[in-house]
Amino acid sequence: MTSKLLEVKGLTKKFGGIFAVYDLSFHVEEGESLGLIGPNGSGKTTTFNLIMREHKQDEGEIFFAGKEISRLPTHERVKIGISRTYQIPRPFSGMSITKNIRVGIMPDEILSVLRMNSESELERKIGQSVGFDKNQLKAYPHELSMGNLRRLELARTMATNPTLLLLDEVFAGLTAGEISELSALIKAKKMEGLTFIIVSHDLKSLAPLVDRVVVVSFGQLIAEGSFEEVIANEKVKEAYLGR
Amino acid sequence: MLGGKLKKSIPWWLLFTAIMSLMPLLISTRSIRILIFANFIAIFAMSWDILSGYTGYISFGHPFLIGVAGYTSAILTHQYSMPLYVSMPAAVLLTMVAGILFFFPALRTRGTYFALVTLAFMEVTYHLVEVVKPELTGGTRGLTGLPLLATGAVPNYYVSLFAMIVIAVSLWLLGKSGGGLVFSAIRMDEDAVKSAGLNTTKFKLFAFTLSALVAGIGGVLFTHYLGSISPRGMFDINFLFTILIAALIGGEHTIIGPILGAYFLTFLLEYSRPYIPGAWRYLFYGMIALIVYNYAPRGIFTIATIAGKWLGRKMTRRERYDQQAA
Repeated sequence: MTSKLLEVKGLTKKFGGIFAVYDLSFHVEEGESLGLIGPNGSGKTTTFNLIMREHKQDEGEIFFAGKEISRLPTHERVKIGISRTYQIPRPFSGMSITKNIRVGIMPDEILSVLRMNSESELERKIGQSVGFDKNQLKAYPHELSMGNLRRLELARTMATNPTLLLLDEVFAGLTAGEISELSALIKAKKMEGLTFIIVSHDLKSLAPLVDRVVVVSFGQLIAEGSFEEVIANEKVKEAYLGR
Repeated sequence: MLGGKLKKSIPWWLLFTAIMSLMPLLISTRSIRILIFANFIAIFAMSWDILSGYTGYISFGHPFLIGVAGYTSAILTHQYSMPLYVSMPAAVLLTMVAGILFFFPALRTRGTYFALVTLAFMEVTYHLVEVVKPELTGGTRGLTGLPLLATGAVPNYYVSLFAMIVIAVSLWLLGKSGGGLVFSAIRMDEDAVKSAGLNTTKFKLFAFTLSALVAGIGGVLFTHYLGSISPRGMFDINFLFTILIAALIGGEHTIIGPILGAYFLTFLLEYSRPYIPGAWRYLFYGMIALIVYNYAPRGIFTIATIAGKWLGRKMTRRERYDQQAA
């Protein structure tokens, strides 16, 4: 039996006079992969920002594993198991891959953090689990390709030990080879029991990864269902292609 | 536990301590006085570095923290005849509270705005000390005849050296620990640190109180070394820039850099005194700071590191050559 892992109800966010997200409600089941798609500027990233409380919602509620988390700060949401990647990778630029991962592993406790001063097996494991080899782990973000930067994003989120991963434009800027490698990685993580919400414009690459898709346009939900159902939906076609 | 790299650094710290301890035997009393001042500037620059160099919250108000420490201890000893062993810890504690006060703007502002707010802290305190209760603070003239912690150049040198080295090693270890990593991560991308599950407010508060603790220790020792305190001497923009430039020219977020910067700057200022009169010296050191900062943004520390590596490579090559020749 599945249960709702994350549920948003009536989420609304206004920037000035413009609604970035308006009365948006959807949920993701435990172990499910949910695609969140929509044209440019439809509010997908804002929705992620609201789920992580990088922005505060004007209205609406967010539930995680049955508990309301609407007022929980970002770091507390990460601690209960929600983690995200960014559309434009945001690595700690002056740190090696291992150190980037270490920041994710760190406990939120000053004394424990002060005791950490050397590489741990865990950070090597996490790095290798997303496909970095041993030699690459010493590399700095500016030496990495876009594909490897996306891997690093993934590694950093994995380091926080999440149950729900929000992947924002995970295939943007990647070669066909990198997309297939990353897709395989996401599938493997899904098999391990992770739940995903994936935002992508690359619908072809997204299709095999998701169980269900939610479509937003101008911040509002316009369609929901299997990938084939939403692609065939007239409203969705109109949102993407115009009348 | 200390990692391998950290263990390798122990001999260097011991060597530095040994050389510095022998200084009174090697150099004149005048130079010892300059070294004492350099030690204090190093303490203040390290205090700035652990906050601003590491977390990226640039403070233009460190003299405020140093002043709170100095004035508290000065007032307690001068006006209330308290002994130093009571006034000094009390002053350091109050400075840590002031550090928390300093922290509040950091909840809402960053970058230039935060720097300006901290500058305002310094300026406001400067005028408050002059105007409010001058009978307590000594007003514009300040307080003189304060009890001294030690008499004579050499004992004072050892007090300043001991404090500087203890602070340097502690902050350097902290910089190499996960704490330093989190502080650096905050400087690079604070939102990404929150997304890693860390409460940045807590870590920033820690950095602010730690910086205030160091500024407080430096402030009380400095005040009871000088034996006097005045608003113009303490909340002076030149004093602020000496601390700032020592940290920047030496190499921010390195802890060792600010020490190198403090020595370089203090000796530069003192030895250029006969040749470059008055305020022109500040123009001179400003120019040097600009040149160093432009060509080696991580400061003297990077230059020293590169030189050390180059020398190391050269020596290994020479050893290999000698072995082959043999």
